[in-house]
Amino acid sequence: MELQDRLEELQAQGLGAAAISFDSEAVLAEFSERRGITFPLLSDVGSKVITEFGILNTVAIEALEKIGPGRRDPTSLDPAFEEDIGKYVTVGAAIDFHVGTPFPGTFMLDRTGRVTSRFFEEFYRERNTTANIMLKLGAGLAPIAAVEGSTAHLKFTAYPSDPYVTLGSRFSVAVAVEPNPDIHVYAPGAETMGYRVVSLNLRPVPHVRFEPVKFPESEIYYFEPLDERVPAYQRPFTLLQEVIVDATNEAEEALSQREALTLSGTFDYQACDDELCYEPVSLPVSFTLDLRLLERARYRDLRRARERAEANR
Amino acid sequence: MTALGIAVAVMVFGVGLDEVQSRTPIDVASLGPQVGERVPAFSLPDQNGQIQTLESILGPNGAILVFHRSASW
Repeated sequence: MELQDRLEELQAQGLGAAAISFDSEAVLAEFSERRGITFPLLSDVGSKVITEFGILNTVAIEALEKIGPGRRDPTSLDPAFEEDIGKYVTVGAAIDFHVGTPFPGTFMLDRTGRVTSRFFEEFYRERNTTANIMLKLGAGLAPIAAVEGSTAHLKFTAYPSDPYVTLGSRFSVAVAVEPNPDIHVYAPGAETMGYRVVSLNLRPVPHVRFEPVKFPESEIYYFEPLDERVPAYQRPFTLLQEVIVDATNEAEEALSQREALTLSGTFDYQACDDELCYEPVSLPVSFTLDLRLLERARYRDLRRARERAEANR
Repeated sequence: MTALGIAVAVMVFGVGLDEVQSRTPIDVASLGPQVGERVPAFSLPDQNGQIQTLESILGPNGAILVFHRSASW
């Protein structure tokens, strides 16, 4: 569990951590032993707390009721129901052992137990990494494998939220930019006035999805000679781009032999000061993250063994 | 087409639509405690057999609380 690797940083920010599942204490003890987990893994056998939270996976229950423990003939199902099973229950064949699970997700709580933010996924195999959640909340954890650079106009640090990812990881690439004194770069909206908006442009990678770059709020720069008001950044700001490693069976197959994921592209901007506008600049950036599919492979082998046992029953 | 024919067609069409729309889409974002709401209190054993509660897992600035599917897969 990658949360374990971020535990010290979370604690340094005054945050506790816990995870809840319907597993028995024995299963959780074995898991935490094997994976070196030191934060509480809570055993909700019978899924009472999961149900009280209102996040019990109702699709799994419905699937068990309507089609039984194993998925045999998907063509006989209502396509919308079939789609829900694939999204929320399993892309495999066995349904029964998903009953009692929650829709997976994460709550961030304040010191009184009130929700300050929450992260639930539309596909059960995708999830936000802890570092990505913290980054989106503006409380970034220590940058890893950062690409740093400075030009005549600004300093920038580009970094992935996580050193390693797996199938379904939703993580971020961040670019922290600090314009030099008297320099501004352009924010979205400025393109209609003929300026190049600052951006991160990562090249497509098979089985990896890129969300649109998120821009922080900009300010309006007033350029007196032209009596022009342009959206711009003059103070330090951070661009965030979320990236998702696909978790489809095809992606799993295609990535199974890979040990690393490389994201490459450019950081682009156009800078101006109060008198001059400089040529647009395009700087190469590249990040390599470890791809950790071992746990997936273990899960897949287990799943296949169960399916074989099911078929022989 | 007679008026009766139209009525029958509307009825048949109406039934078809009902079937298509009978499945309410799942909206995971709407499930469970929302931003600003307090989560339910709980008391559960951890992997070491110790009872943990909402209060015991909270740090001075709050906590991250993860619900996951299973540790056994």
